[in-house]
Amino acid sequence: MSEPISRWSAAETIGKGVRAAPALRIGFVTPLFLALMGAAGRVVTPILVQQAIDRGLSPKGVSVDTVVRLGLVAFGVICVATWAQRTAVYRLGRRSEEALYGLRVRLFEHIHRLSIADHSEERKGALVARVTSDVETLAQFFQWGGLAWLLDGTLMLLVAGVMLAYDWVLAIVAFVVAAPLALVLQRVQRHLVKAYDSAREKNANVMTQISEVVAGAETLRAYRSGPRYARRVKDASHERSKSFIRAGTIGAFLFPSGEVFGVFTVSAVVVTGLLRGPDSGLTAGAMVGFVFLTYRFLEPIAEFTEVLDQTQTAVAGMRRVLGVLEIPIGPPEPTVPMRLPEGGLAVTVDRVDFSYRSRGDIDEPPVLIDVNVHIPAGQQVAVVGETGSGKTTLGRLVARLADPVAGAVLVGGVPLTRVSNADLRRRLTVVPQEPFLFEGTIAANLLFARPNLGRADLEAAVAALDLGDWLDTLPDGLDTEVGERGAQMSAGERQLVALIRASLVDPDVLVLDEATSSVDALTEVRLARALEKLASGRTTIAIAHRLSTAARADRVLVLDHGRLVEDGTHLDLVQRGGTYARMYDAWVAATSAG
Amino acid sequence: MAAETGNRLVQAFRLVRALLRHQKRTFFIACGGAAVFAACTVGSAAVVKLIIDDVITPRFEDGEVAASTVAGVLGLLILLGFVRAAGVVVRRTWAGRTAWGVTERLSAEVVDRLAEQPVPWHRRQTTGDLITRAGVDAEAATAVLQPLPFASGVVVMVFLSTVWLLITDLPLGIAAVCVFPVLIALNIGYQRRVDRYYNTAQDELGRLSSAVHESFEGVAVVKSFGAEHRETERLALIAGRLREARLGAVRLRSIFESLLDGIPNVVNIGLLVGGAFRVRAGEMTVGELTSFIYLFTLLVFPLRLIGFTLSELPHSLAGWGRIRSLLDQPVDPDPVLTLHRGSDNSVHVRDVHYSHDGDREVLTGVTAEIDAGRTVAVVGATGAGKTTLLHLIAGLVPPERGTVTVPEAGAEMVFQEAFLLAGTVRDNITLGADVPNDAVELALQVAEADFVHSLPQGLDTEIGERGVGLSGGQRQRLALTRALVRRPAVLLLDDTTSALDPATEAKVIANLKAALTTTTVVAVASRPSTIALADDVLYLVDGEVVAHGLHDELMDTVPAYRQLIEAFEHDRAALDAELGGDGA
Repeated sequence: MSEPISRWSAAETIGKGVRAAPALRIGFVTPLFLALMGAAGRVVTPILVQQAIDRGLSPKGVSVDTVVRLGLVAFGVICVATWAQRTAVYRLGRRSEEALYGLRVRLFEHIHRLSIADHSEERKGALVARVTSDVETLAQFFQWGGLAWLLDGTLMLLVAGVMLAYDWVLAIVAFVVAAPLALVLQRVQRHLVKAYDSAREKNANVMTQISEVVAGAETLRAYRSGPRYARRVKDASHERSKSFIRAGTIGAFLFPSGEVFGVFTVSAVVVTGLLRGPDSGLTAGAMVGFVFLTYRFLEPIAEFTEVLDQTQTAVAGMRRVLGVLEIPIGPPEPTVPMRLPEGGLAVTVDRVDFSYRSRGDIDEPPVLIDVNVHIPAGQQVAVVGETGSGKTTLGRLVARLADPVAGAVLVGGVPLTRVSNADLRRRLTVVPQEPFLFEGTIAANLLFARPNLGRADLEAAVAALDLGDWLDTLPDGLDTEVGERGAQMSAGERQLVALIRASLVDPDVLVLDEATSSVDALTEVRLARALEKLASGRTTIAIAHRLSTAARADRVLVLDHGRLVEDGTHLDLVQRGGTYARMYDAWVAATSAG
Repeated sequence: MAAETGNRLVQAFRLVRALLRHQKRTFFIACGGAAVFAACTVGSAAVVKLIIDDVITPRFEDGEVAASTVAGVLGLLILLGFVRAAGVVVRRTWAGRTAWGVTERLSAEVVDRLAEQPVPWHRRQTTGDLITRAGVDAEAATAVLQPLPFASGVVVMVFLSTVWLLITDLPLGIAAVCVFPVLIALNIGYQRRVDRYYNTAQDELGRLSSAVHESFEGVAVVKSFGAEHRETERLALIAGRLREARLGAVRLRSIFESLLDGIPNVVNIGLLVGGAFRVRAGEMTVGELTSFIYLFTLLVFPLRLIGFTLSELPHSLAGWGRIRSLLDQPVDPDPVLTLHRGSDNSVHVRDVHYSHDGDREVLTGVTAEIDAGRTVAVVGATGAGKTTLLHLIAGLVPPERGTVTVPEAGAEMVFQEAFLLAGTVRDNITLGADVPNDAVELALQVAEADFVHSLPQGLDTEIGERGVGLSGGQRQRLALTRALVRRPAVLLLDDTTSALDPATEAKVIANLKAALTTTTVVAVASRPSTIALADDVLYLVDGEVVAHGLHDELMDTVPAYRQLIEAFEHDRAALDAELGGDGA
């Protein structure tokens, strides 16, 4: 996410990852030991074949008894090995699922506590991806790649050990002939990763274009462009096919190269064995056993290359996940909190500067520059300014959704950095510009503010804001479903729900970010009425988009490019003939019919 | 159980036959590759026998082996290795070609159908569902084609192995062959059961993703109510269910994986012990016995593939089913064909009725005569049917009763929500049509969309999902340009200046009036300033035209209209009263 993190090496990343998910470290040693035992099961057959041939099946005389005895021993070993492997796989799986669960929960908590500045529109998707797809790469790794490291890794070590024990010359010959395979596979693998990256990109492109053809169906129909855009999707889809087929073709060489190296290695082992002959201490059984071992040794190599890719993906995923955990939570909780005074609360903005965190190498311009305001308790203030003037940000700083870069915001005389989050949220509430509703009923959305309230409290709150008549128009009253993100409701209705929700907190300071979207006349009247009731008696900071709101306020603050340029009552400012007066004239012209 | 399995196989056969209708050749090449691989696998077991009986045993037991024998046997081993490898390459490459060829074809069919179906059909579907069908479902339907050639190769391998085992030694062969069905059944049984966990886990993961999405999107609300911890707990609950589903799979898998390693090993021991008797009886050589064991080791992995292929089948069947159900729907008639064509630029709507899905009528007998070249404002409360009226004139939806007459050239519609596609600004204006540059420039001027020139690459700037973000007002002006470059005979505007600031809006409307002298404009309007610029007003109430005339006339004669306009002005009127009326 931010720069320094991407420079972490794989080892550093894994180290930090283990610290972030301690469940991983605790339960690792036992499964490793068990896996080694489990791998023993896989070398039983070659050893058994060797023993049987040398001791029981010699052409000079077959000793069935010996073979049966050997068989019984082997059977015992296999039973234990099978149990050990099962236990290793299970334990490791359980550990990693627990570790991932812990990591996810840590991420939820951390991300929710990040400053609102870190939750910009551009980053939202990335944050969701961190807890879903990036953690998923780790999950996939633990399910397949990690297991392969454990099982195949121990198997290869064990097989190599057994080979060396049988005959170190043959073993070295086998290793030397097979070694270039690793290089070949690595090369193929590198091409393969690139090919799949490009294929995935093309796939994403196809998906985007399909969704456009669907979501833009009306527009495309109206402009008779449907077939042209369908053609575009088909072209993209053809490109995708080509890309995947290409990647598949490269991948098709992975396994066979293992096969080819396998036959050469076996041939080399056989020839070397024959040349050295029985005089060197080699036996027929050992030769046969060795051929088996050679196959066993090569088996996991092809799989390893895939595992390597998966490991890289997982490390990259881990790096991104840790990157999020590295972002300091903001605003941080005070170590020694001060309680907000009882009663009405004044708000003071003291020489505040603010800019959003820079993204990559783009420096974000300052949003607020040296803003100074004192708002006495109970005053109704409207903040106006053009889009980008910083008025929304000012509201966020007062609500402590972010901390200023310089200067301080004080509520009730206490700097916000000294107020505990719980205390602040009981006394100050924000109604955002586009109020967000969670999927569920209106009641559930209201209870989000205070989960312990009863039905009667909700009804009382509705009545207090004079919204009973509105609620009666809804099919199921408080139990009406609002739909995904509140989509079943109109923009105005969502604002109404947000106002009731805010009123349940009964705050002393209300920060209100007015909506820009147009609302039908009746809802407009209801909103104005509810707002007036909600605001009365509270210190209110309204980020106003409608100048009617500004005109009704006790005091108007005008922001222009991050600076506070005018401060006064509506009438004062209109007469002063400055920025505000110009905005007001334009608004009057727009709302006049004549 | 058997009947169910049989039924599934029939379904599977039909699915594969349908999918392969145009892709038989590549598929059979892939199967050929798999068969070569199978034959060579069994062949390599025979070579192992030769290596032991003809090369190793003579050298170690008798002290001598002819170099030519060694060369011959090892040459055979290497040759088989290469052929076997070639079989794999051919199988995998052509299996990929088959699957992607079919996927491409299916996607194309779905996308063509999406383009062909008119707007009312699209409205009956959900967006996400359609996207899934053209994308994910097409891939899911063909997923079974990837492992299928290998699976058919495995069948060949099992057959050849059986023959080899039985020919080499009948009693031991019979014993060995009996293990195949056990292993296959174990594989299939495991896949079925583990898939249940994987499917559950997949569902839970989907649920977790959407919950996380929702929670992060609502982060401002979460924070302003201090609900961070509550939200974490809610999400942790879902993540916990995901973990449980995964753990179920882990448990099952740990047992299966170890059994799958253990059982062939036990079989090998049995073969060796049984083989010892056969060798002692002189019925079998050591090489033959060893090749039995070797073959068994080689078969374990391919046998897994049968279970794997069968587990793809339900997904493929489901994906195919969803695609079929979309393609089997008849194409709705194009509503444009219901439009009557007039000789000039006037628009006539006569006794038109319309309802969404035969539900409540949105328009209940609308009649409107709009003369050529007029600018008409359509005014009414939310839900009065303004947008629907525009869609009817545009020929996007058909009237249930009544007629709509438009000019020969039809009408161009500008939507309330400007939909931008990924691509350049120019692409978004032309939408693929051949439009000369100066026409684009002219339209940009009229729509007050000169901001385009200050974008990084001007008209060639990428916008949309991965490009430069545009404000609502900028989007609306681009959408207007899109209609203007088509030199419309009738221009339909659905509240398309709502996101513009009042000054820009006034300029746009003035430009339109000046530039479009012969064009008939029908505009849904809500701001009084916009309404005032129209020649006359069409006032709709609950799907009916209540009045059609000059704005001033309507203000005097239609009280409801007057009230509506005053409600728009309410804010300012109330304010004027409060402040003593000096604002106007």
